[in-house]
Amino acid sequence: MIHQLKKLFLLVVLPLLVLLLSLLVGSSQNIGFVELCQRIGLKVGIYIGDHNTVLKDNMDTILWQVRLPRILLTFMVGAALASSGGILQAIFRNPIVDPFTLGISSGSAFGAALAMLFPLLSVNLSAFLFGVCAVGLTYFVSNAGLKTSIIGMVLAGMVISGVFTAMLTLLQYISDPYKLQAIVQWTMGNLHTASWSKVQQAFLPITIGLGILILLRWKLNLLALGDQEAIAVGVNPKILKLVFIAVATLITASAVAAVGVISLFGLIVPHISRMIFGPNNNIIVWANISIGGTFLLLIDDFSRAVMPFEIPIGVFTMIIGAPLFIYLMRRNEINWNS
Amino acid sequence: MNNSIHIKKLSFAYGKDVILNDVNMSFPEGKLSVILGRNGSGKSTLFNIIAGLEKKYNGSVLIGETERRDWKVGRANSLKLGFLNQFHQTTFPFSVVDVILTGRASFSRFSPNKEDFEAVEQILDRFNLTHLKDKPYTSLSGGERQLVLLCRVLVQQPDLLLLDEPTNHLDLKYQIAVLQTAKELVKEGTTVLCVMHDPNMAYLFGDQFYLMKDNRLVDLHGLEREQVRELLEQTYQLPLISLENQKKWMFVPMLGADRAFDTIAGSAHNAEAKIEMNTP
Repeated sequence: MIHQLKKLFLLVVLPLLVLLLSLLVGSSQNIGFVELCQRIGLKVGIYIGDHNTVLKDNMDTILWQVRLPRILLTFMVGAALASSGGILQAIFRNPIVDPFTLGISSGSAFGAALAMLFPLLSVNLSAFLFGVCAVGLTYFVSNAGLKTSIIGMVLAGMVISGVFTAMLTLLQYISDPYKLQAIVQWTMGNLHTASWSKVQQAFLPITIGLGILILLRWKLNLLALGDQEAIAVGVNPKILKLVFIAVATLITASAVAAVGVISLFGLIVPHISRMIFGPNNNIIVWANISIGGTFLLLIDDFSRAVMPFEIPIGVFTMIIGAPLFIYLMRRNEINWNS
Repeated sequence: MNNSIHIKKLSFAYGKDVILNDVNMSFPEGKLSVILGRNGSGKSTLFNIIAGLEKKYNGSVLIGETERRDWKVGRANSLKLGFLNQFHQTTFPFSVVDVILTGRASFSRFSPNKEDFEAVEQILDRFNLTHLKDKPYTSLSGGERQLVLLCRVLVQQPDLLLLDEPTNHLDLKYQIAVLQTAKELVKEGTTVLCVMHDPNMAYLFGDQFYLMKDNRLVDLHGLEREQVRELLEQTYQLPLISLENQKKWMFVPMLGADRAFDTIAGSAHNAEAKIEMNTP
């Protein structure tokens, strides 16, 4: 019973609480909880049809046009990265792979840079397409060998990542200083560019991806035992794996396309989830969504509130994530067996 | 449903290494068939071919009426085949229940339902493993793990069960538990094909016996005890004594015969006579 309450609190109540509190803080002006409630009340009032008490000031714009879309986008991106890390760790049976192992991040970064230099496609779309393209190449290369092995695919991912990073470096080398700055900022993670249109772009692919993941989440347990163990009980693991890789690619590429590269996050959150809830993917998939979204939101709150200037989120996740990860490793609470 | 296995002109090679050469055999349904043979003799390759893990073979392997190569895994209403491999490593410390539950994966499209959970409870109960239910699989002993994996395969209620050295790493109690279960399953109508190392365990529990020898499979059915002993001697390159124990055959290595087999082979019978004289 207490366990159930703990689950409910961590997976539902805490994320909602953090979502609300995140509206309060910001680099421009912090507001109180009471004021927030008033403003929410007013906003709801407008939608219901009560137009008499329209309050339109700076704070209103900041709250609904800057903070809210940023918070929603951050939550979605956090959930997406954590979920995709969880998927890949399960199907590759390897706790040290993350969403970027298959080359998504370097592919997307290259795509974004390419679109900034030669604006044929929008930056987001280009980042998405090249992210997917990188994973496709990784899959193709690792399948070209005699047998598709886990190690083979991770190694192929590293090689493809390297190629795209090299091409990105080339682009950076030939670009002018202003564009170079834009490219570098993009690759550091850029949640501050969040807007309603970005939320719209990311919403559909991420929710569809997470929806499929939630439906099929139990099958991750099967895949995590290995290919032969799936065949042994009459399930073809190839199709299932491909579906999961496609989902992971879709949500990661959408997240990266929206906010740039946020490293280490998708590696760490699944470990935190497993530490709290155990390895069963039936629960872990929910936990990764909730904890991933909440955790990235908290980090973003810090990066907005602690310093007078904003620290790029990619830098912040790395700085917070690395010691946390080392601490977990030393306490041996990372749930794996090797 | 017909779940006998018919193998015709089966050959298999890893590059130039011929593993199986013109194997012809039928394994009857509803029996516990045991394949004996030395390490690296091709038992496991044959097992993998029948299990569907290895598809690049020449010849034909029919399960029921379906060619193994053309059998699509995961198709509904086909015959259910389960197998237990020799090696298994797991990364995540899933609880025993969760591991066994994955055995029902071909039944449920999405999440497991009440029926699946009940099936797991039943199988745990049958093996007296209920106390391990919530323990992490990774914390179990080798024997317990093997039993849990067996439960996992059995929970899908296979018509045809393939076991590759299921008694490996197990103590005597667990060895007997596993083989006893295989025997019970056969009584319930399952066809069981089992690769084994120990001829004595095989003869204690099996119905039909086969020997992998010189890349071929020899049917031991209908042979006299002495003929079987000679075949086993040739296979294992060891002088053996054959005995009868509780109406089952036993094959025991001859003591003091640690020299190369071929020098002893001729005098094996004399030696047997001598040892029988020495035992009161």
